[in-house]
Amino acid sequence: MNSKRIKLTAIMLLLVGSGIVQARIKLVALPERAATVIRLDNPQATLIEEERVLTLQKGLNKVDFSWKGVSIDADSIRLVAMDHPDKVTLLSVSYPPNEAALVWDISSADNFAERVRISYLLSFIDRLITYTAIADKAETQLDIKSFLVLRNFSGEDFDKARVLLDYGEAFEQGIDHEETKQMLFLKANKVPITKIWTFDATKLPWDPEQLENRNVGIPVSYRIVNDANSKLGQFALWGGKARIFQDDGHQSTIFLGEDNTSLVPVGEKMELYIGDSRDIVVTQRKMTDTQINIRRNNREQIVLFDTDEEIVAKIENFKDSPAVLTMLQYIPGQWDMEKCNMQYKRKDAYTLEFEIMLPARTEKGPAVKELKMHYHRRNVRP
Amino acid sequence: MTDNREQNKGINKMRRLISLLIIVAISPVALAKVDLVTLPSRDTVQLTIYNSADMTLVRESRALTLKEGKNSLQFSWENTLIDPTSLEMLPKANADKIDIAELVYPPRVTNLGLWNIESGVSGKVPVEITYLTSGLSWRAFYMGTLTKDEKTMRLQGYVRVTNNSGEDYENAQTRLIVGTVHILDEIAELARRQYPYGRPGEVVVTEMPAPSRGMADQLRPRALFEAKAVELALKPKEITKEGLSEYFLYTIEGTETIPTGWSKRLLSFDIDEVPVVNLYKYEEERYGQNVVRFLSFKNDKEHKLGQTPIPGGVLKVYRNADEQGHLSYTGQSSFKYIPVDEDVELNLGPVADVVVEPMLMDFKTENYRFDNRGNISGWDEIRTFTIEVRNTRDIGIKIEIQRNFDSPYWNLEKSGDFDQYEKVDIDTVKFTLNLQPRSTKTFQYTARAYRGTRQEDWRESSQ
Repeated sequence: MNSKRIKLTAIMLLLVGSGIVQARIKLVALPERAATVIRLDNPQATLIEEERVLTLQKGLNKVDFSWKGVSIDADSIRLVAMDHPDKVTLLSVSYPPNEAALVWDISSADNFAERVRISYLLSFIDRLITYTAIADKAETQLDIKSFLVLRNFSGEDFDKARVLLDYGEAFEQGIDHEETKQMLFLKANKVPITKIWTFDATKLPWDPEQLENRNVGIPVSYRIVNDANSKLGQFALWGGKARIFQDDGHQSTIFLGEDNTSLVPVGEKMELYIGDSRDIVVTQRKMTDTQINIRRNNREQIVLFDTDEEIVAKIENFKDSPAVLTMLQYIPGQWDMEKCNMQYKRKDAYTLEFEIMLPARTEKGPAVKELKMHYHRRNVRP
Repeated sequence: MTDNREQNKGINKMRRLISLLIIVAISPVALAKVDLVTLPSRDTVQLTIYNSADMTLVRESRALTLKEGKNSLQFSWENTLIDPTSLEMLPKANADKIDIAELVYPPRVTNLGLWNIESGVSGKVPVEITYLTSGLSWRAFYMGTLTKDEKTMRLQGYVRVTNNSGEDYENAQTRLIVGTVHILDEIAELARRQYPYGRPGEVVVTEMPAPSRGMADQLRPRALFEAKAVELALKPKEITKEGLSEYFLYTIEGTETIPTGWSKRLLSFDIDEVPVVNLYKYEEERYGQNVVRFLSFKNDKEHKLGQTPIPGGVLKVYRNADEQGHLSYTGQSSFKYIPVDEDVELNLGPVADVVVEPMLMDFKTENYRFDNRGNISGWDEIRTFTIEVRNTRDIGIKIEIQRNFDSPYWNLEKSGDFDQYEKVDIDTVKFTLNLQPRSTKTFQYTARAYRGTRQEDWRESSQ
């Protein structure tokens, strides 16, 4: 169970100078692995570094390194002499046929008990990051915990290793083959959040009444900034699954939703989509869409025209709390706005972003706002 | 055989599928040298059940007996539908002295996790364990009973909670969430994974079979469930409702015992005399030639509702048929989630006792335009419709008639017996009529459609 699959054997060269291919005879007992480092800073591959003491004899030494049942990238294997780097020289590396192994030819100036460092890229061992966060009842801040999950399916057991991430202190951890370990590695309390509701006119249906018995959910997200103000900003937050809970005010929590976050560099924003609101209802309708300023060729065919378009979007807030709805509208091609009853920001040539403050529902009914856009698309060709 | 059954009954209580044991390891390496095993039972359990996804948040409290120093706590979930990646444990006392260092999913063992705990205290420590499971669900459904005059309706809302989780939850505080949560993976899929977080460098495949339902059935403590049911039958339980984030939380009074395989129906609300409108709709493009009946009310105080949103579900509508309280079944409608203050329109299907007959009474074309080669380039089409609406019922009704056009270039002249007119959008108008019992109304409209180059002369008339 505890047997090592990666083996290291030193072989003494028996027939020096003979032209015959020598047999690889394993003479030296397995040198114990020490100072193992599992480096998880690159999400693509995991680098293992380990130190072993080789008993080298003066002259040519053959050291056999094999990794049966373990997925090592053979080209990634490196060997560095630690004690006598100028007296111990790696001459060549040979790969025997049909075997997960290699043989190092090492020249040694003297008899040394030489400490060497072997490094290689090992597959099927990695780390994941997960987040769990609890929002307060008012949804203004989050208590965030992040967990590191080590997964080892490499075929190799690591009794004791120093685990290194791309930041922070290294820590000692053992992990066996087929073992998964989850540990807390980041805790940040009272991280401020902004709650965002977004209606994207290209993604969501315009007229909920046409949908018979289906609600249109307005996506709801929490925005977190990875900076010092948020008690974060020490390092980039790795991507992973985030599960968000909320304090329910009864010494318990409810689950709000989950999302995958990608890596968030320092200073950047993280947006976690938690679920849909069905208490904000948008009903968008096109009230006018006609061709104006029509140009025809001498065969009376239309070659160019402008449009006269009018969109009305009714926004109702049935919630008993206020909300800020971000509304995205798209107008393709060249256009100009004749009249719009709300302020907007041009996100790009074709995208208009409205920030619409919605008061809470009152005794009289839902809070209602109406966006009216009257615009012309110019120089449209049929 | 009988002996076996007896034996099964006897160990029913012991056969918790989720087990928790503490191992105080004397050696940090091998689990084989285990010194002490204790099996604390659940003190309390709380279920928060979602209906937009197959997911339940379970929170249980247990009292652990810890020793100062290193403790290993084993948690196993064979034959359940727990997502192991959601497991979390928090000490509820001495939190600063108890460090839950890591959660280990040991190799070559399935459905088992080990918490390694460094404790600065010895003795009993209350802890809270939370996790997500699948297999529990709930849904809402409704019964409506109209009065004979169909002016008001008694509306009863129910929730039905079903436990197919493979685990018996006894005396659990049960809470239901109304709302749509965003989730990435199905909890049931996570529960069936061979390795909780999968394997690196490969696509996760589900290899484990679903928990054996047969097994759970054999073990279900039927007697216990029935005894509880009798005890609770004195008064229907209340369900308190409150808003949290974008969701509503329903908390069922007291605790519930729902063994695996069982479901339970509870009354959520019962409101008499909700004023309703008999609304009928006619729109050829949507409903064909039939008039469709809707039952309309509003989720607000005026309608004795409006305390909380109404979760979507199926409403079965009945009508009081006579003085003896006999019922007749009117129809059923599924409806969506209804926020507070929103109008509800329940589609009860096509009817024959309200009739709408649109008749094209006149058609002509005029205002021809010609291009420079003498071909027709533009013209107007004028259609006059008469619409007759007949209410053959012995109660008053309201009807909405929508008419659609095939282009945005049109103008309308209307006359006759209608109550309201509205331009709905670019190519749709709506006439609303209120009809007395057994009455007929007729109205007309003339629509002028601008075709071809005549569209350039079009100007929207004041509608």
